[in-house]
Amino acid sequence: MLFEATDLTAEELELQTEVRAFLEAELPRGTFHPGLGMGAPRDREFSRKLAARDWIGMTLPARYGGHDRGAVDRFVVTEELLRWGAPVGHHWVADRQTGPVINRFGSDEQKQRFLPAICRGEISFAIGMSEPEAGSDLAAVRTRATKTGGGWLLSGTKVWTSGAHESDWFVVLCRTGEDEDRHRGLSQLIVDLHSDGLTISPIAFLSGARDFNEVVLEEVFVPDGLVLGEIGQGWAQNTSELAYERGGPERWLSTYLLVEQFLRDGGPAAEERALLFLGRATARWWALRRMSLSVARMIDAGEAPAVQSALVKEMGTRFEQDLLYGILELVDCEPGLEAADPFQRLLAEAVLSAPSFTIRGGTNEILRSVAAKGLSAL
Amino acid sequence: MTDWLLLDSARRLLADTCTYEAVQAAETTGWSDPIWGALQRSGYTDMTSIELEDAVGLLTLAGEHAAPVPLAEATLAGWLLGTAPGGRVSVAPGGELRFDGGAVTGTSRRVPWGRAVERVVVVIDDRAVVLPAAGATIEPQANLAGEPRDLLRFDRARPEDIRPTDQDVRELGALTRAAMMSGALTAMARLTIAYAGERRQFGRPIAGFQAVQQHLVSIAQDASLVAMAVQGAARAAQQRRAGFEIAAAKVLASQAALTATRAAHQVHGAMGMTQEYRLHHFSRRLWVWRSEYGDEQYWSRRLGEAVAEAGADQLYPLITGGSAVI
Repeated sequence: MLFEATDLTAEELELQTEVRAFLEAELPRGTFHPGLGMGAPRDREFSRKLAARDWIGMTLPARYGGHDRGAVDRFVVTEELLRWGAPVGHHWVADRQTGPVINRFGSDEQKQRFLPAICRGEISFAIGMSEPEAGSDLAAVRTRATKTGGGWLLSGTKVWTSGAHESDWFVVLCRTGEDEDRHRGLSQLIVDLHSDGLTISPIAFLSGARDFNEVVLEEVFVPDGLVLGEIGQGWAQNTSELAYERGGPERWLSTYLLVEQFLRDGGPAAEERALLFLGRATARWWALRRMSLSVARMIDAGEAPAVQSALVKEMGTRFEQDLLYGILELVDCEPGLEAADPFQRLLAEAVLSAPSFTIRGGTNEILRSVAAKGLSAL
Repeated sequence: MTDWLLLDSARRLLADTCTYEAVQAAETTGWSDPIWGALQRSGYTDMTSIELEDAVGLLTLAGEHAAPVPLAEATLAGWLLGTAPGGRVSVAPGGELRFDGGAVTGTSRRVPWGRAVERVVVVIDDRAVVLPAAGATIEPQANLAGEPRDLLRFDRARPEDIRPTDQDVRELGALTRAAMMSGALTAMARLTIAYAGERRQFGRPIAGFQAVQQHLVSIAQDASLVAMAVQGAARAAQQRRAGFEIAAAKVLASQAALTATRAAHQVHGAMGMTQEYRLHHFSRRLWVWRSEYGDEQYWSRRLGEAVAEAGADQLYPLITGGSAVI
């Protein structure tokens, strides 16, 4: 059995109630433009308010400003934020992956420096993994750091760097060893996005929106103190970082609000097939959520559910797309990014972003390969 | 709490008795004394002494071994009556029956193992009625999986017992089918993964081909999703009436019945189309169980109506809380 059934405890249900009450008070429906899942806008002020409730960096240790909570607690908060369309963009990457990775591999000095600021919702991180020649084959990165007095000189190009222009730092996967040593020659550096020699240029989304960037590094100086973990251990560290990225509610909630709005607008009253669609969708959400929750429970039990996370992300992201295409078959409505009607606007955002659901954080093809290797446990 | 000891010994018993030969033989004769006898001696046919969650676990195991006996009906009878009627018992999923004075007259359709049981539980209005099978005229029929689904005609049959029931036989019946389907999906996934690891073509195991791996992953996803749904439904039903969870579980099981059998057969090639290889014990059962006690469309509509009635603000609470919310 790959997954074990689990339910929320009374304390976890209480947390759920608290988050719901917070969102209803802080962001009443109809008073803001909700975002689609983790693609929601950035809002420093909102992140700070969330941090004031102790809901950022929840799983980090209290002595670094965190809250010693578990993955399930973070799951409960995250799912409510995402389904509400809350502006989680500012703290998203730091809260989900950079914070935990620094906590796991970073030096005490790095933890003191970054974790409290992450937990206050102040600093924002981007991800420096992909390159023009290194997408799914991440070990092919060419960005290289060479040793210099007191630090490293970093040169190369990172692409698809979401939010680099609005973030403070990014963690760069780069080559520090010999070329023939594909995996062991990799390291991770924490890099200030305002460093000299670092140029951020927009790569416009197909919609024209600004999110993606190209980050060119030309002999950027990174002090020894900002090497994350050990030189030469970048691959193993990075793999564990990717595991944090997978299997959470952000992998099956990206189009939730579209369906909720469809229901709000009275969509199902019109047709039998709309009822069938809603029934199927709700059934799958309910069960997928239980799988995803089971992954969080495994993480809290100290297990490493890499196969389970890959299975959930692969089916969850396809489901996100299926929901959009199912809705499109039901409505006769032109999507409009500037439309006043919330449904039309959400529809437009979903149509334009849906292809990325099954790509970001590891393509579904790669995920299937990862999962296939672990299927003997069934 | 799940009774792992009970489920572990049941797993061993089913593995020992439900061999390929035993399942094949039951299909020909319409009954299996060795399998039923073994289950009865170990007390697995009296579900009233077993927690609902464990009963669902037991039915999952029955599906995993394609057990050719009415264990689901024994379970269902216990749930409907609140007591074990004793002996071999079936439950009529439908038909036209009426009270005629103190006696029952009419037809029960698709009665599982109707020819082999001693009594049949039928639901008439809000009453669970136990009828002796001996007095019925029986027309033997079978489903695609070779399981007896007989037509029983009662003519002024005297009930052995009548009990008021507020249980929804369709809902509980759907839970039994979803549970067995979950087991069959797990068995099918294991069989397919093992086969792909052994079968060699082009000089290597076919599991090494990415195109084949995609099928394996999709079967594992189906089996895992349905297992989670069935366990969630059982947990909910243990506490309250779990219409939402049972509907969801049957929707997903019925969908998976098509997608997973398709992938499993594709991986097995011609071998999977033969009677001598065991895949069909699971695929044929999945094909028929998907429509018993309501198919994917029936339960999707019921669920969709509940969602529409609850409204947009209740959609997410429903996804997290299920029948506790409505």
